[in-house]
Amino acid sequence: MSGDSNPAATPTPCQDTQGDGRWMSLHNRFVSDSKGKEPDVLFVGDSLIQLLHEFEVWRKLFSPLHALNFGIGGDATQHVLWRLINGELDYISPKVVVLWVGTNNHGHTPEQICGGLMAIIDVIHQKLPHAHTLVLGLLPRGKSPNPLRERNASVNAQVQAEVASLSHVSFLDMDPGFIQSDGSIAHQDMYDYLHLTPQAYQRVCQPLHERIKSLLDKQVP
Amino acid sequence: MSAEENPAAEPAPVIDVQGDGRWMSQHNRFVQECKDAEPDVLFVGDSMVQLMQQYEVWRELFSPLHALNFGIGGDTTCNVLWRLQNGELENIRPKVVVLWVGTNNHEHTADQVAGGILAIAQLLLSRLTKSKIIVLGLLPRGEFPNPLREKNASVNNLLRASLPRLGPVQLLDVGGSFVHSDGTISSRDMFDFLHLTASAYRTISTSLHDLLLQLLEETPQERRASLV
Repeated sequence: MSGDSNPAATPTPCQDTQGDGRWMSLHNRFVSDSKGKEPDVLFVGDSLIQLLHEFEVWRKLFSPLHALNFGIGGDATQHVLWRLINGELDYISPKVVVLWVGTNNHGHTPEQICGGLMAIIDVIHQKLPHAHTLVLGLLPRGKSPNPLRERNASVNAQVQAEVASLSHVSFLDMDPGFIQSDGSIAHQDMYDYLHLTPQAYQRVCQPLHERIKSLLDKQVP
Repeated sequence: MSAEENPAAEPAPVIDVQGDGRWMSQHNRFVQECKDAEPDVLFVGDSMVQLMQQYEVWRELFSPLHALNFGIGGDTTCNVLWRLQNGELENIRPKVVVLWVGTNNHEHTADQVAGGILAIAQLLLSRLTKSKIIVLGLLPRGEFPNPLREKNASVNNLLRASLPRLGPVQLLDVGGSFVHSDGTISSRDMFDFLHLTASAYRTISTSLHDLLLQLLEETPQERRASLV
């Protein structure tokens, strides 16, 4: 699906509707941060990536891997695409890029969201030909069964299929089983039925940490 | 300013546009918590309140005070007003209510936002006749000086004088340390130039915790009298 016909794959900055320019401040800070650093791992995405940085799990599991965090809350695929095209990848050469975005693509179909993710993967590959991209599966959301859970599951299935043939990309399912037997998600895992509590982050980050480490090990010449 | 004149004082639920009903799920959970719990302190507001519960500081300083957290990210004064009128004050008698809301009222002027906060304070005082109210001042936001900083400061100034006239209500302004001499806010304090980091929550929690202890200590007399 070309960028023209897919809004999820059309690079788009976030408009400053509130009046304090926070999105652009964050983007600019990521670009300038990247000029001084040499991360082995880059995390990029929405609030699920951004908030990860604020909890103990980041310091324990990911700082030691020399990681940078370029998450912005509210971002959809088209926003991350714009950011990566406009400087956030220009000064660094991480070995692994962890990508977690798509749950905020409201109004887009699973096909469009998948197209957006593939567009991001393409840009990363163009700018960082030696990097491996690890795409994280979208989590279920909402307290009870709802259409967004189905949408996210469909995105995951499509992305998983599309990246199967690519050697520089892999997919990781991040759901350790958040949906309970009665179909509900517990607020002890997602305090607002979307964002993870520190204890839920601990749960999902163990396998993520293992996967990143094995990818880094493979990259050692 | 009456509710008819002030849109920020008009109760309104959040409409589910995304499709997973999360706002109502959270509200319903809070209503249920009111049936089960006997909090001494109730925190209510937007994401500034909600996020606090995810950091260590909540467990260390506020859980021990038997506090409940009814924060929902994105909420405006209208949303908080609706929630409090629709079950989130049933069956509980907290000694102190901590209210922190207003920074998301993008459609409203500073006057209207202050009026909305006053309306919430009035509702709390009328429903919880023995409670004291702490209203937290709106924090500065954005990396550089911008109109929202001025707006939030105006709201705080309007509240400073008008809140105490309602009764046992006061403004606690915890935003003083965040803007540096060059006018910037650091991402070490606000990771997205709006929401607080763990260390910034620690900074603001000291004075809040001290004030809470003071107010809680003032009320036990009434409780003891009722046991006689």
